[in-house]
Amino acid sequence: MNSPAELLEIAKYVERRARELGADEVAAGVSRSVQTTLVRRDGKIEQASEATSRGLVFSVLVDGKYSSHSTSDLRPAAIESFLKQGVDATRFLEEDRDHALADGKLCGRGATEEALDQYDPAYAKRTADERARDVEALEVEVRRLEPPGVLSVATHVGDGVTDVARAMSNGFADTARDAWFVAGAEITLKDGERRPEASAFYASRYLSDLPSTAAVAEDAVARAKERIGSGPVESGTYTLVLANRAASRLLGMLAAPLSGAALHQNRSCLQGKLGEKIGSDVFTLIDDPFAPRGLGSRAWDGDGLVAKAFPVVKDGVLENYYIGTYYSRKLNVAVTTGGRSNWVVPPGKVPWETVVKGTPRAIYVDGFLGGNSNPVTGDFSFGIRGLLYENGVPTRSLSEMNVSGNVLEVFHKLVACGTDVWPFSGVQSPTLVFDGIQFSGT
Amino acid sequence: MSSAVAKPEPIEWFAQFGVDAMVTRRVLAEAARNGADDADVYFEHSTSTTVSLQDRKVNRAHLSVDLGVGIRVVVGDQVGYAYTEDLSIESMLEAARVASQIAKGGGGHAPVNTTRVKVRDFYPTNSPWSDMELKARIPMVRRWEERAFQHDKRIDKVQTSLSDVDKHVLVVTLDGHMAADYRPMTRAFVSVAAIDGKLRESGSYNVASRRGIDFYDDAVQDRLVDQACLRAIQALHAGMPPAGEMPVVMAAGSSGILLHEAIGHGMEADFNRKGISIYADKLNKSIAPKDVTIVDDATLPGARGSLNVDDEACETERTVLVDKGVLRTYLHDKISARHYGVKSTGSGRRESFRHPVLPRMRTTYMEPGPHAPEDIIKSVKYGLYCDTFQNGQVQIGAGDFAFYVRSGFLIEDGKLTRPVKDVNLIGNGPQVLESIEMVGNDLVIDEGGWTCGKDGQSVPVGQGMPTVKVAKLSVGGGAK
Repeated sequence: MNSPAELLEIAKYVERRARELGADEVAAGVSRSVQTTLVRRDGKIEQASEATSRGLVFSVLVDGKYSSHSTSDLRPAAIESFLKQGVDATRFLEEDRDHALADGKLCGRGATEEALDQYDPAYAKRTADERARDVEALEVEVRRLEPPGVLSVATHVGDGVTDVARAMSNGFADTARDAWFVAGAEITLKDGERRPEASAFYASRYLSDLPSTAAVAEDAVARAKERIGSGPVESGTYTLVLANRAASRLLGMLAAPLSGAALHQNRSCLQGKLGEKIGSDVFTLIDDPFAPRGLGSRAWDGDGLVAKAFPVVKDGVLENYYIGTYYSRKLNVAVTTGGRSNWVVPPGKVPWETVVKGTPRAIYVDGFLGGNSNPVTGDFSFGIRGLLYENGVPTRSLSEMNVSGNVLEVFHKLVACGTDVWPFSGVQSPTLVFDGIQFSGT
Repeated sequence: MSSAVAKPEPIEWFAQFGVDAMVTRRVLAEAARNGADDADVYFEHSTSTTVSLQDRKVNRAHLSVDLGVGIRVVVGDQVGYAYTEDLSIESMLEAARVASQIAKGGGGHAPVNTTRVKVRDFYPTNSPWSDMELKARIPMVRRWEERAFQHDKRIDKVQTSLSDVDKHVLVVTLDGHMAADYRPMTRAFVSVAAIDGKLRESGSYNVASRRGIDFYDDAVQDRLVDQACLRAIQALHAGMPPAGEMPVVMAAGSSGILLHEAIGHGMEADFNRKGISIYADKLNKSIAPKDVTIVDDATLPGARGSLNVDDEACETERTVLVDKGVLRTYLHDKISARHYGVKSTGSGRRESFRHPVLPRMRTTYMEPGPHAPEDIIKSVKYGLYCDTFQNGQVQIGAGDFAFYVRSGFLIEDGKLTRPVKDVNLIGNGPQVLESIEMVGNDLVIDEGGWTCGKDGQSVPVGQGMPTVKVAKLSVGGGAK
C-alpha cells in the first residue's frame, strides 16, 4: 500500500462496500504518511524517530442518519467488520438529512498539482546522513554565536510526506500529496535564578525554502538574548506591535466565530456582521488555497468542493463566513468552505519600524503564553513575551504581562501592516501595528 | 464501587493480532541488535465511541479503532523510536531496525526471560465500554438535553455528547518486564448557549473518569447539566476585571491548574536532567510555605489521571513532590531514574504507540491546609476570586506560567461582589509558590476531563486544590 493510486483503490473499495452494506451516501478517505525527526541536544542525538502511518476514515448516511468513523487497522477482515459496524450503528441515530454529501458537480479540483507545488522531489532523495549533518551543523552554528550563559542547545530537523486519497458516492475521487520540512533550535540560558528559553522554528513545503543554517541559528540566538532580564512594566494602554510570526494567534481568534457551527449555535460574536466594518480600512484577510508551496494550500476542501480563494475581510468589512455543506443547509446560505486554507494578510507599504519610530511607548509581542478568547462575546486575554520599544528603540525585555481586549474592537485599532510577510506558516501575515491596546503588568 | 468482573488478560488480548512471547522476543532482539541500555515494545489497541446531540437530535456518532506498536531503544539518555500500525512480524522487525539505529556498534543484547509485573487495579469496571450497544448511550445524551432546557428559560441551544474508550496496552521490556493493562475512559460533555435580551453567552461542563457506565449515577448526570447552565447564566452578566497585579483566591477544585502549570511541569525530571527547568537545582530546598504539600498521584480510584502501571512497565504510586514546602522529588521515567540513581515514580507516559515515553503528571493536587475557605475570602481587601478555568501554559526554564480564568468574582472588602470572566492570569512559578499565604481545608479533586500537552503529546490528567490565597498575580483585565 504505497502509491496514491493504490490508496485511491482502497478508498473506492470502502465507498462501494459501505453502499453494499446499506449506506445511501459514503465519503471515504485513506491516508499514508512518513515522517522523520531528529533532535540533537548538547553534542549528541537526543531522539531519532521515524514512522510510517496510515489510516482510513469514512462517513455514511443511512436512511438520512449520519455517522463518521476512523481506523488504523487496515487488515481486510478488520475493514469489513468495521464498515458493517459503522453502517449498522448509524441506524440507531436520528435523521438529519442536512448531512447529505455536496452536489457532485460542485466537487473537483480548483488548481493543478503543478500550480499548488506541494511536493518537493528533493524529499525522496533526503538521506539519514544529511539529516544528521544538518542537525549537527545547526547546533555548531548556534554555539559559534556564543549565546551568553548558555545552559543547553537543542536543534531539530524533520521532514515527511503525506498521501491522501478520497472517494465519495457523489462521484468525486482524487488524490493529493504534500511534503514538509522543518528546522529549528531551542536555547536555554542562565539568567540569575531563571533559565529562560527561546526557540526559532521554520516550516516549508520545499527544503530549499527553509532559511540557511546560519539564519536559523542567528534568529534563535537573537530571540534567546532578548529573554535576558525580562519582566513586566506597568499596566496601561500601549501601541501593540505584533510580530509577523506571532500574528496567527490574534488572527486565529476570528476562526471560531466565523464558522458556520458557531453562527448556527448562536455562539458567534460575528453573527449578523456580514457586510459590516469589523476592522480598520487597512485590515484585509484573504483565504487563499492556491498559494504555491503554501502550508495550507489545497485543490479541494473537506467536502470535496472545488477550492476557491475569497476575501474574509476586505478593507475592514466582513465579506464571508466559513460555511460548509452541512451548515449551508442549516442556515440556508451559500457555501464558501467549511475550513480555512492559507490565511493571507497583504503587506503594507511601510516597514513597521518606520511606523513606530516616533511612538513614545510600544510593546513588540513576538510570542504568547496561555490565554484564550471567547467566541460568543469576542473578549480575549493572552499572556505575552516581547520587548518594550521607546521612540522606536528596544529598551527592555518583557514577560509576565497580559494583553486583553475584544475581537470586535481590536481590529479597528489596526493602524498599519508592515512589509515583512512571514511565509513559514499557514497564516502569512506581516507585522501588525495596533494603537491603544490594554496591557497588564505591574 | 461495585466489584469487578474478570477481564481479558491483555497478553491474550493481543494474541488475536498474532502477538505472543516469541514475537516480542524477536522484535526486542532486533531492536537491541546494535546494543541498548534499555528497549521496549508497546502494543496498544483502543476502540472508542462518541454519540452527540445537537439541535434536539442525536444526530452524530463516531466509532474509532486504533491499533499499533511502538518500539523504543535507549542508549544512555538517547532514544531511537519507530512505530507501525501493521502488526505483521516483518513490519515490526523493520520498525525495530529503524529504532536500533540510535545505537551504533555497541554489540547485540539478547532479551532476558520476561516476568509479569503485578499491578493493582485502580479502575475496576463491571463491563468494558465496547460491550455496550451504541443505542444504550442515546437516552443519556437525550436526558441531559431535556434537563438543560428545563433549567432556565434563557437556555437557547444545547449540545451534549458521551465519549468512551476501551484501551488495552501491553509493554515488554528488554530487561524482562511485561505489564498489561486495560484502561477504560469516559467523558461526558454539555454545552449550552444562553440569551437574555441582547446578551449572549455560553457555558459548558464535563465529567471524566476511568470507570464504566456505573460512573454515571443520577448525581453526576444532574451536576453535569446544572453546572453547564449555571456557568452560562452567570457569564451573561459578568465582565472583565480591571487589569493589574492583585491578590488572587483560587477556589477549591480545578484551581489545581495553578499547580499543574506553576510547578508540575517543572517537576518532570526530563527537564531537570537536561538542566532546563527552573527547579533543576532546588531538590531538598524550601520552595513554598510549610502549609504547602503537593502530590502527584496515579492511585486515586477511577480518576482520569490514574494508572495501574505506567507505559514502560513500572509500578505507579502516590508521589509527594513538595512536602511541607520542601521539594522532595521529581517525576521520573526510567531514563531520568537511571540518571539520578533513583527508582522510577511510574510517571513514564505516552499519548499512544506513536509516541515515545516522557515523564508526565497523573493527578496533581495540594493537600488541605488549616484555613476555612470563607476566612480566606474575608482576608482580601481587593482582589480576584477564580472558580473555573480553561487552559494554561508554562515556560519551563523561566518559570513563567499562565492560566485562563473562565469565571470568578471580584473580592471587595472580604466579600465576593461583581462576577468576572475571560481573563488570563500570569505569574512566575517559584515566586507564586513562595507567595501562597493561606491554604484551605477543603481539598476537591476536580472531576473534569483535563488533558495535558507536552512535546506534541496529549495525555489525560487530573488536578485538585483546596481554596488557596496567592499574594499577587498579574490579571489581564480591562482598563480601570
